[in-house]
Amino acid sequence: MKITTRPTVVLLSLSLAAALTGCSEQAAGGGGSADAGGCQPADVKLVGQVRNESNPYEASWLTGGDEFAKTVGLTQQRLTYGGDSTKQQEQISQLLAGDTKCLVMNVLPNGDSDTAPIVKGADTAGAFLVTQWNKPADLKPADYKTWISHITYNGVESGRQIGDALATAIGGQGGIIALQGVLDTAAAKDRFAGLQESLTKNPGVELLDQQTANFSRAEARTVTQTLLTKHGDKVKGIWTANDDMALGALEALQQAGRAGQVAVVGIDAVPDAVKAVQDGSMTATVSSDGTWQGGIGLAIGFCVATGKLAVKDLPAANRAFFAEQFLVTKENAADFAQPKTNPSDFECGNVFKRVAGALT
Amino acid sequence: MFAVLSPRFRSIENVQNMVDAAAVLAVVTCGITFVLLMGSIDLSAAGVMGASALTVSLLVANNRNDNDLGLLGIGVAVLLGCAFGCLSGLALVLLKVPSFMATLGVSAAGLGVATLMFAGVQPNVSDAMLKGWAIERFLGLSYLTWIAATCILVGWLLQRYTRLGRYAFAIGGAEEVLALSGVRVKPYKVAVFAVAGAFYGLAGVMVTSQLGAGLVQAGSGYDFSAITAAVVGGTLLTGGRGGVLHSAVGVLLVVVLTNGLVQIGVSPYWQGGVEGLIVVAAVAAAVIPQRRRNQVVK
Repeated sequence: MKITTRPTVVLLSLSLAAALTGCSEQAAGGGGSADAGGCQPADVKLVGQVRNESNPYEASWLTGGDEFAKTVGLTQQRLTYGGDSTKQQEQISQLLAGDTKCLVMNVLPNGDSDTAPIVKGADTAGAFLVTQWNKPADLKPADYKTWISHITYNGVESGRQIGDALATAIGGQGGIIALQGVLDTAAAKDRFAGLQESLTKNPGVELLDQQTANFSRAEARTVTQTLLTKHGDKVKGIWTANDDMALGALEALQQAGRAGQVAVVGIDAVPDAVKAVQDGSMTATVSSDGTWQGGIGLAIGFCVATGKLAVKDLPAANRAFFAEQFLVTKENAADFAQPKTNPSDFECGNVFKRVAGALT
Repeated sequence: MFAVLSPRFRSIENVQNMVDAAAVLAVVTCGITFVLLMGSIDLSAAGVMGASALTVSLLVANNRNDNDLGLLGIGVAVLLGCAFGCLSGLALVLLKVPSFMATLGVSAAGLGVATLMFAGVQPNVSDAMLKGWAIERFLGLSYLTWIAATCILVGWLLQRYTRLGRYAFAIGGAEEVLALSGVRVKPYKVAVFAVAGAFYGLAGVMVTSQLGAGLVQAGSGYDFSAITAAVVGGTLLTGGRGGVLHSAVGVLLVVVLTNGLVQIGVSPYWQGGVEGLIVVAAVAAAVIPQRRRNQVVK
């Protein structure tokens, strides 16, 4: 049934998109809701879009969106595109083909290059948009009227946070090994740069070796085993650029009979890692707080759409920013084991509370 | 060469580590060798291993359901691998799909089945026996290594003393001659793929034991590593020559290579490239004697 209707929908959306472009050209930017923001709260339509619900992090994002929607008496439309860029664009253009006057979208673009068409479509249609994680450096919300904010996280900072936690765990003295992610990704580069900052700050800690395990649990296990035999008892800690690799390193330690003697840190706060931090087998991980991310994008959009915030009044640091992230250690791991939201985070006066720095 | 450059490389611990690291690859290579001997190729390892990894992790004690089948679960996973192998073989002989495409398709199907079983929550294995395989040691080597050694022995016996093994050689050498001398070739082809599939199934179980969790990507990369190991060991892609023991040597060479590069401290940014070049050089050196006889390189 889906197959038969799809061509019509695509055709319809294409023609509508074309019609809308024509309109806005004629009206010279006067059309749509733009920065007027005069929507009734009940008319606002909230949409959250992520890759898939089978990934616990992205599932918690949609949960956060639902919880925000409940606080304003609305429901969130949940969209997933299965990591398929084409499908994401198709969903967005279908949305934009409908009534876009009070549309608020909180979108996780599949990759950097997917952001531009989403932004342009939303700007033309006058839909309010918040994007997270991925965007090309030269594409800036400040150049658009309804692309309110782009939120991302500072990889250098998270790399440093877990580096410092690792240094503390081994008493500021001793050798560590590092497992990098896929070497040509920004996340891997930034996180490793953070580790290097932490090493300069902790001169007692020596980086014995660094290898890539491509963000993979299986590769991390093999590489860790090799490095453990290479450096033997000199290894006091293992720094990894994500939790999957940290979990692989834990297996390797167990198989080498050294479980509990070597501190391990990672990033992402996946459920298994949070559990490992809770029971003490892992030292620390970093959480971006997925439920907050899912709620905040909709909250910012809702505040602008209802006129409580105006895009033109927002400082540059609120248009594209690094959000605060949290070091998860044994003390606070229980809070992160069950993701939850705090409704006061989503009040219009508080939506930019977690800005940790402007994204330039 | 690595032994000269790094004193650690020579140590007993590192030899143990390398032999342990070779275990899974050895089992996969064992399976793939039979297919290569026939002159076919098998790219289904990644998918079959993924499916068997998920199957076993859901059948033994785990955090997703109340199953606790132990050895039976492992048997089912191996049988599943065997069934996937059968499927490849049947597609080859009945539908005349080239083995390259048939096995690639079966790999995709395996990954699909694995993803369905994954259903968003990673199954973590709590079965003490399965986890113990990777941790407990006998004579300094992990149980997994002994399993791999047994597989090589079984593979060698199959190849040397059964009709299946000897026909695999003959099919690779001259299929027409075998067919003309009245042997029904097709059932043997299917059987060879089924045996290979069973080996991949077991390899998937072993990866699950190592990682303590069922991963869809359990077998990613093993298909090409195994073909590389077999070819480096002297099993010809054109079939008819080589064998399980040759491939086992190839496995050790490949593992020594990756381990050695880390041990002597080659920067990770260079490793991928260096590894590839060494493999091409090693294969070139291995096949030069045959080049003159074969002329054609496919």
